[in-house]
Amino acid sequence: MKEYAILLDTTYCTGCNSCAYRCIQEFRYHDQAAKGLFRTFVQINDDGLYHKRCMHCIEPDCVANCPVKALTKSESGQVLYDAKKCIGCQTCVRSCKFGIPLFDEITKKIVKCSMCAHRTGQGKLPACVEVCSTGALQFGEYQEIRAKAKDMAVKNNLKIYGMVQNGGTHLFVLAKVDPATFGYPKVPAKDIKKGVSMGDLPAMPMAIAAVAIGGLKKLSERRALVEAEEKDKEPKK
Amino acid sequence: MEKKNKVSRRRFLQFAGAAGAALAGSAFPFRNLKSAWAFGDHPQEQLPYRITKKVPQVCARACECDCAYTIVVGVDPATGVERAITVEGRPEDPVSNGKFCIKAMGFVDSMYDPDRLMVSLKRTNKKKGIDVDPGWVIMKTDDAVNEIIGKLKTFRREDIVFASPGDPYTNRLCMSLGCTRSDQRTECFGTHYYINCLTTTNPPNMFYSSSYTPSHHVCGYDYDTSKYQVWFGFDSFSKCGKAGMLNHWAAGKRNGCKIVMLNPVRTPMTDAFAGEFYPIKPGTDLAVALAMINVIIKDKKYNKSFVDKYSDAAALVDVKTKAALKTADGSFLAWSTKNKKAEAIDECDSPALEGGPFKVNGVNAKPVMQLLKEATKSNTPEWAAKISEVPAKDIRRIALEFAAAAPYSMIPTYKRDAAGPNYANSWRLRHAINILNSLVGSIDHDGGILLLHGVKLPWLDDMNPPVVPYPPKPAKHADFREEFPVTNNIYRNKDFSAPGHYGMIGWGLYKTTRAKAVFFRNPHRGLHAMIQPQMMEAAADKLDLIIDWNLYLDDLGYFCDYVIPAPHQFEEAKLDIRLYYPKYPAYAGGTPVQKAPGDQIGWGGFAMKIGMALAPKYWTTDGSGNPDKKIPTNIGDVAVKQAGVAENAAEFMKNGGLWVDKKPYENYKHLAQIGYGKPNGRVRMYVDEFAEVGHSPLPIWAPRWHESTGKFKFSLLITRAPWIMHADPNFVNNPVMKEINTRSHMDTVWINPKAAAKLGVKEGEEVLLENDPKYMKDLPRPVKAKIHLTTRIAREDCVLLFHGIGHRAKNLKVGANYGYRDGDLIPQKNPAMSKKHDPTGMGWVEDVYVSIKKTS
Repeated sequence: MKEYAILLDTTYCTGCNSCAYRCIQEFRYHDQAAKGLFRTFVQINDDGLYHKRCMHCIEPDCVANCPVKALTKSESGQVLYDAKKCIGCQTCVRSCKFGIPLFDEITKKIVKCSMCAHRTGQGKLPACVEVCSTGALQFGEYQEIRAKAKDMAVKNNLKIYGMVQNGGTHLFVLAKVDPATFGYPKVPAKDIKKGVSMGDLPAMPMAIAAVAIGGLKKLSERRALVEAEEKDKEPKK
Repeated sequence: MEKKNKVSRRRFLQFAGAAGAALAGSAFPFRNLKSAWAFGDHPQEQLPYRITKKVPQVCARACECDCAYTIVVGVDPATGVERAITVEGRPEDPVSNGKFCIKAMGFVDSMYDPDRLMVSLKRTNKKKGIDVDPGWVIMKTDDAVNEIIGKLKTFRREDIVFASPGDPYTNRLCMSLGCTRSDQRTECFGTHYYINCLTTTNPPNMFYSSSYTPSHHVCGYDYDTSKYQVWFGFDSFSKCGKAGMLNHWAAGKRNGCKIVMLNPVRTPMTDAFAGEFYPIKPGTDLAVALAMINVIIKDKKYNKSFVDKYSDAAALVDVKTKAALKTADGSFLAWSTKNKKAEAIDECDSPALEGGPFKVNGVNAKPVMQLLKEATKSNTPEWAAKISEVPAKDIRRIALEFAAAAPYSMIPTYKRDAAGPNYANSWRLRHAINILNSLVGSIDHDGGILLLHGVKLPWLDDMNPPVVPYPPKPAKHADFREEFPVTNNIYRNKDFSAPGHYGMIGWGLYKTTRAKAVFFRNPHRGLHAMIQPQMMEAAADKLDLIIDWNLYLDDLGYFCDYVIPAPHQFEEAKLDIRLYYPKYPAYAGGTPVQKAPGDQIGWGGFAMKIGMALAPKYWTTDGSGNPDKKIPTNIGDVAVKQAGVAENAAEFMKNGGLWVDKKPYENYKHLAQIGYGKPNGRVRMYVDEFAEVGHSPLPIWAPRWHESTGKFKFSLLITRAPWIMHADPNFVNNPVMKEINTRSHMDTVWINPKAAAKLGVKEGEEVLLENDPKYMKDLPRPVKAKIHLTTRIAREDCVLLFHGIGHRAKNLKVGANYGYRDGDLIPQKNPAMSKKHDPTGMGWVEDVYVSIKKTS
């Protein structure tokens, strides 16, 4: 199973909200959107464009705190929501540091991006990415997108949001200035070691192997030491 | 020491055990692998709808681009009913490159707008007005059309105005009836069209055609490969949503293009695409453009090869009469520096660009380039800086960078940008822009201005020439176009689809009795598309017959005697050329997504019925009026057949409905074919027709018409939200788009926070905007609105309004009484005054200063 992420280069975004409307049509939630309940929305602020949308955290607080497991973290990195399980307690609304889940007072359910799991599972782009006219939104495998975000940030002198916030997310935002200055919540970094993502898994076997090899080496050294000690204990001829 | 670092087996096992326990406890590193759902089982991994078909379509009326895309039809889970769901891109379309915008998606949903007009309505209450009950009675459309025809027969041809864009059917109809065609839509970018006609092309040029796009462009812009662009007010908020352009701008940015933006408003376009941004003083772009001409000529940075061969730079002009000298067969004359005599410009191999006067047949003549040099001599960057507040050193540098990057540089313009009819001096700016693009050789070159070529949609008159000459046109038009000979000549003698006078049709209806019957071919614009609609409203009572053919019963309908339902654009078949990125010859077609669900009538059928009833000899192949001999109207069949693309439109659509001839653009080839003059077309910088009506044949500085006086110190700037087009209920009556609009503060008026502080107004407070009575003498209608304070308004002397909101038609349940109406603040123009400022007589919609005060 591949793990995915979205890269948002705000230096290409014009705030057209085609992503927002394409999302609405994809998920048929016009009535909720008309009340301001958007899964994704671009707010045109004075100093930049704030895309209010799920960050798909590596360690999602909403998942950790949901009492009925209506929110789950998928193998693809997407934080998914099962409306049938949801009891409308709004724990997720309160626990999300990014302020993302929106509560629909009528349905008593929440509104939140799924990163188009139904499309990505079929090899398609998320609807918002597909419609983006300028390519400000890009989608791909987590490690590639993460590396791309880092690379673009260095090349174009941009700030990255989503790399460390809340332990890291599956949405990386690039901007000329700190995105927290134009609408993105100031979310503290969490220990990145705790926040290792599925995408970091290639590093894990290596670490385990290193421990194992180290251990075997130690065992081997100990065996050699024991053998040497035993030799020392033998009567001198 | 050595022993100290050694780990005993017990210690190692203890460590490993503890680490294992810790990892197991935290589920690290497999914590996230623990899935609550098997892959594909989660409800959010299921497609929310079932797709049943995909229908190719072409966007129409949403913006200039006309993107080709596919409408996805499926079963809506909410209702279980099949309906259009969304849009998919067509990557092979050179305009859209697989993209589409929020408005295209809005059109999908508007097919099911519950407020769509499904039946024909007839007024029974003679009193008209937005707050008057019209006493509508429902009619069968066939019956209503017959009644309308019966009433139209009672009017003289000169009493009838068709407010309709110059589409093939409207043209045929108005020509055959001998009445006025004066649309309130195309006029808003009329200046652009006329200046192009007078400088770049001969109307109608060999490729010129238009089935849906009413803006009559022959020029497109190669944003993808351009390296340098200067935008004069080009970056409006509406541009932020135009997918057919955005994808090209993004390609250009990735290609390293530098864009210099001059605009009092800093839009997200500026943030994303501007290499440099100057908050220019409104209405002074012309000064900067003239200074750029000054620098390029003074430093001799123009493209001599281009101006020699493809422009009138060497053309000789009689310095006394200001007329261009021509040979008997109409060719320009140039002064041969080698032969020391005047020669036909195409045969002159060493033409003088500067110097003179030269004696030609006893006449003192100078080359156009010399006259341009003289005309702009005092327009130095320092001079322009004082007027525009753009630093002189930057103007000079920009001019040189622009010239150095040519021909991969350009100044684009579309529709109602600053170069359109925004100010009384904007026709001069448009002229100056054409000159700048010409001087550096960017016209008809990739990376610069692309010219339409290789495709043709025939007009009805191409397919069916009239059997007898059309009746004469009215001597006096309700839009006063006869008062403007330069543009009237084009309308009367060259291109009947040419725009009328947006800024004066309301004046004509209100102040005169020139029109007695007005037919609005008006899908989803309503009164909003007309500036100062209060004039039209006041005129309604004295007009004997007003008809609206429309998708909605909008504000205009409340002043009409009949409102006839029109089909949705996705309920019609289409064939479109790729006018807005004409790098390749291309056709894109559309198939109806569904049948019109009510008693709608298409425009072609409606026009044919009127034509057959009122002017049958022009609507039958032999002039007999025999209904069995109606003229064929299968434009699409003829177009694709002539292009060798398919046998007919049906076959074209069966094959996918998109054809692109991806041969490389042939630089400087098309200008000779469609450019101004003969035998070889050229760009014309010098327009002697302007001299004939007392205006300068070359652009010279002129201030705005409207001056700022006293409290009227806020220059009115107008834009549109990216998700709204004009006053179109397709979008404003969409509850989601209304919500997006509100959350984006685009139902408010925007000013700079410093200006607000001086006024003592705070965010969200209600303010009143009023006109200066010196400039709005009739029917003033102040605007009340909430205010938004934002540094996106980069100057303190401006106020930004959003066009398209402020509907009052009660049946538009979402759009009515939302926001304000910008047009109320924009005066219709007195034609006598207008022609003193502008020989094209266009709208000047932003040439207004208003006062702002708190309402409480």
